[in-house]
Amino acid sequence: MHLLEVKNVRKVYTTRFGGAKVEALKQVTFTVEKGEYTAIMGESGSGKTTLLNILAALDRPTSGEILLNGRSLAAIPEKELAAFRRDNLGFVFQDFNLLDTLSLKDNILLPLVLAGKPHREMEDRLQPLARKLGISDILSKFPYEVSGGQKQRTAVARALITYPQLVLADEPTGSLDSRASEGLLRLFGEINAAGQTILMVTHSVKAASHAKRVLFIRDGEIFHQLYRGTLSVEEMYERIADTLTLLTTGGAVHA
Amino acid sequence: MLNFIYSRLAVSSMRRSSRMYIPYLGAGMGMAAMFYIMMFLRNNTGLAVMRGGGEVQLMLTLGAMVVGFFAVIFLFYTHNFLIRQRKRELGLYNVLGMEKRHIARILAWETVFSAAISIGLGLGAGILTSKLMLLLLYRILRFPVPIGFEVSEAAVLTTVKLFTVIYAASLANAIRQVRLVEPLELLRAARMGEREPKTRWALALLGLASLGVGYAMALTIEHPLDALVYFFVAVIFVIIGTYLLFVAGSIAFLKLLRRNKRLYYRPRPFIAISGMIYRMKQHAVGLASICILSTMVLVTLSTTVSLYVGLEDVLHIRYPRENTIIMEGYDSGDIRWVRSQVAAVLERRGLSAQAEAEYRFLSFPAFQSGNRFLTGREVTQGLSGTSISLHITSLEDYNRLVPEPVFLAADEALVYTNRGTYQYPSIQLLGREFTVKGTLPEMPARGLATTEVFASCYLVVRDMGVVEEIRQAFVNQGNRAPQMRYQLGFDLNVPQEQAIAAFRDIKQVLSQNKDTFTSVQSREEARADFLSLYGGLFFLGLFLGLVFWLGTVLIIYYKQVTEGYEDRQRYVIMQQVGLSKAEVKSAINSQVLAVFFLPLVAAAAHVAASFKMATRLLTVLNLTNVALFASCTAGVFAGFAVLYTLVYRATARVYYRIVAAANGA
Repeated sequence: MHLLEVKNVRKVYTTRFGGAKVEALKQVTFTVEKGEYTAIMGESGSGKTTLLNILAALDRPTSGEILLNGRSLAAIPEKELAAFRRDNLGFVFQDFNLLDTLSLKDNILLPLVLAGKPHREMEDRLQPLARKLGISDILSKFPYEVSGGQKQRTAVARALITYPQLVLADEPTGSLDSRASEGLLRLFGEINAAGQTILMVTHSVKAASHAKRVLFIRDGEIFHQLYRGTLSVEEMYERIADTLTLLTTGGAVHA
Repeated sequence: MLNFIYSRLAVSSMRRSSRMYIPYLGAGMGMAAMFYIMMFLRNNTGLAVMRGGGEVQLMLTLGAMVVGFFAVIFLFYTHNFLIRQRKRELGLYNVLGMEKRHIARILAWETVFSAAISIGLGLGAGILTSKLMLLLLYRILRFPVPIGFEVSEAAVLTTVKLFTVIYAASLANAIRQVRLVEPLELLRAARMGEREPKTRWALALLGLASLGVGYAMALTIEHPLDALVYFFVAVIFVIIGTYLLFVAGSIAFLKLLRRNKRLYYRPRPFIAISGMIYRMKQHAVGLASICILSTMVLVTLSTTVSLYVGLEDVLHIRYPRENTIIMEGYDSGDIRWVRSQVAAVLERRGLSAQAEAEYRFLSFPAFQSGNRFLTGREVTQGLSGTSISLHITSLEDYNRLVPEPVFLAADEALVYTNRGTYQYPSIQLLGREFTVKGTLPEMPARGLATTEVFASCYLVVRDMGVVEEIRQAFVNQGNRAPQMRYQLGFDLNVPQEQAIAAFRDIKQVLSQNKDTFTSVQSREEARADFLSLYGGLFFLGLFLGLVFWLGTVLIIYYKQVTEGYEDRQRYVIMQQVGLSKAEVKSAINSQVLAVFFLPLVAAAAHVAASFKMATRLLTVLNLTNVALFASCTAGVFAGFAVLYTLVYRATARVYYRIVAAANGA
């Protein structure tokens, strides 16, 4: 069984005063296996954020189906959606989305608190995770006191602390300088090596080159995919760049 | 031609930020209307000719000044708030190439429109309701209701002038703000990562202590005159305590809660406590001010309402009989003369005196320490006790007023005090010792002239001979000889005009006696003066209470709306990590609830603590009906809470809509 199955997903937005309809996603179909590290690449406006929102159950598709572990997201009642997200998905965002009123520690614990876990279990989960991410020393600080890279590590810790089935990352290196980006991508590689499934949306070639598989999305459709196989990160980078060149020069490549 | 663009931009931006503008315009209208009404009532010609109308006009003038002052502060504050909220939009205009003077033009147009709407509609509303208010005022003062509809041109003119100045000042401030700020700064996203507030234990404890001292003062003071003196001291302590507790105490308390991990790491407390720590940092001063303002409104309203409602009580305590004649230093001929003159007047008018009461008193000050009543030089320092005024009368006068005659020996006495019951078996006074034959629950006819302000003690002794002996002993001690006082009180039980006419006759007749100091008092005549005083205060209390309430709730509304915009992102994040819509809603509700009702709860505590002191203050004004004051306070508080809750509901809805608007994105 696939971990994530996206079948013929279509999303149409209707502008507020009726009339014009915008087709954000035409027909998207793909699967993600357990333990995979997948990147979805596309330009601004290609529909990748819409896709991510639908995968995160923050938005519903117009038609088509999404299955996580064989369970259809559409079948989950509205009331349980929040709990479902909390228990199965972890999020990492471009601008970190940390709450500035909470210490880093409390930011990480937030999903567990909302899930009503006992405090001892929270601490038991937090300590090893913080050590692994190298943020043990700054847990009592507040977001405004630490660097962008440290904020993003905190956000990663928050995503991982619920032991999610799937980590969804939306442009995670978008607000980081190149050194911090490099560190974060290495971290993602390590996490994935430990068995965590990751799905990342990005338009950065560098970020995508760290993934094991890259899906290209254009005008609401998946039009190509690359597997890394035995390629190094640098070779993967070349391949992705070539594909994007083809894309912008108007070539119609189909996988 | 270009002006057209600016006015169009002004209108469209006002429309866009209607959530901020509508309450501002509403407040401006309300203030203009109330100010006009105050000025209109003040200028009302009918009032000037009424008895006591002059005092009422003076009060209304004062009220108009308060409303005007409040309007200035409040509208200025609100507008300042409005501009700060819109800095981003104005910054965008600037970045897009509009110069600051062009922005100033847009702001000027906005101000012109706001002023026109507020003053125009406000005056309209004021003129329409002014008649209603006039009727209410006349009703309260029990004046005959005038007919016809008036518009006071002078009041209109003053209102227009005052509010034009207010709006011009607001505009000047807005332009100054825009001038000061750089475009990039204008554009920059609101507050990025605000520092967590520090715990200031010293201030928190100081606040607690200050509030404790204020409360202790209010709760322990027994003596009305002490209450008069210490009231303002206690108020200052409570104000300082409130500010410190809101500013430092709240944060210390919340952080203490946060330290309790079992309590803190649960969904509701987690969101509420972490959010409130920041909220209190930003709004503590505002909330404390709201609390103080509400307390003042509540205390003022409940006292003025009870004074007005308890007017009859006050009159009956101040004037135990409808008419009272007091003669200082009399001889037996004087008494006969007074009685015959009064009888003659009453007979001529076909009236008869009822519930007649007559007293001869020997009065002098004394110092009570246990069962010893010390006078003159006997009073030495370091003695514990209270100053009282001592009134001594004979059994003859007393027995005339009670159904069952009492007998006393020469060394026996009856005692009444207006501060609880006399507890000792005997009284030592000027070298004599009297055995207390009985303590009286009430002096018959209230001694004809009780004032509740001072501690008084009435002694009834066997006869005038004993009274004279005491007087002699008092003089022998080296004191100035006290005069004997004669008092005669009676009711007429006739309509007010007749009662007042009879009173004037009696007063006129008795003024012929130039040798002895004689005064005549009439409850019926005093009623008009009391009514205009307490009625005027009552009306003013209601009106100003309304104005303050309007100000208070609008401040809260604006606070909540800004917070809504600030909290938006926070709730989006929480939903992403797994907070359901229902949970968001309940978290919002509990936060709004806390911010809204914290000042109200604190105000309730203040009012409760001030209750005892307020009853003592009312005693000074001869209102001793505690039950009446309690129910007035409860009623006023309930009314205030209902109005407050209505605003809370509306505000919570707006807040939720702002926060929810960002969801789903």
